[in-house]
Amino acid sequence: MAGGGGGGDGEPEFQVAPMIDVLLVLLIFFMSITSSQVLKVDKNISLPVASHGVKRDDKAAAGLINISWDTTTGQAKYKLDDRELDPNDKDGISKELERRKGGNEKFRLLIRADRNCHAKYISKALEWGAEAGIDNIAFSGLNREE
Amino acid sequence: MRQAKQEAPADAGFQIAPMIDVVFVIMLFFMVMAGAVKVEHELKTTLPGNAETAQETELPDEVTIGVSETGEVSLNDDPLGAPQDKVLEGLYSQMVQMRKAAEQAKTKMLITVQAEEAARYERVMNVLDVLARAEITNVTFAVSETE
Repeated sequence: MAGGGGGGDGEPEFQVAPMIDVLLVLLIFFMSITSSQVLKVDKNISLPVASHGVKRDDKAAAGLINISWDTTTGQAKYKLDDRELDPNDKDGISKELERRKGGNEKFRLLIRADRNCHAKYISKALEWGAEAGIDNIAFSGLNREE
Repeated sequence: MRQAKQEAPADAGFQIAPMIDVVFVIMLFFMVMAGAVKVEHELKTTLPGNAETAQETELPDEVTIGVSETGEVSLNDDPLGAPQDKVLEGLYSQMVQMRKAAEQAKTKMLITVQAEEAARYERVMNVLDVLARAEITNVTFAVSETE
């Protein structure tokens, strides 16, 4: 212990190099935690609050359906990941979901819907899932109010 | 001009102090942003379905939670939550009681959240969130047609 502190004959000098190391590590840490979360938020969809839900598991296979709400027309718009869907093409959507599911029994349908969206539009997305044989449904929400 | 060139120091070395300033500012920015980050959570449900089994299956205690167009929440047709009540404390305490009773009786509970067609998704999520808080996992979601 004594050896660690002693040795120098003058006043201990402020070391800049280790400080920069620590600063850069902290910087990288904060950069990684902010960017990874911000990228997932689709700004067109205002998600409801689900503070007691479990944290989204991005590793598990899921079909992500984004449902945005147009307040002027009172209609919902569907997207499977980034691809816009035609809600009347029920067979096409179900087949696409079925293809993505493959033989994976744990495959789930992840619904990201706007808080103002009506329940019947959610039900439509669930119908597509049911047609594709997916019965695990997860609804996305934010951990706290915006 | 010539004078200025001659007076310039020979060693224009790497300046550490401004770099630390910049790194500090960037770090502060990311630290503040980290506090404002919103994480996405998910509430899991299953679709109601039918399964063929050779053995006789025990029917679970079925409970229906209704969500109306206006945002009112009801438990087996008894009104339980006003549209403004987001926390739904009444529903939560009832659900906890039911879960404990089901655990004691060693029966399964099946909760069906039945929303009207024009019910807002946010209200449905309020109910699902209360169920997640009460640690009830066997939840299905259905939409009823408005008469």
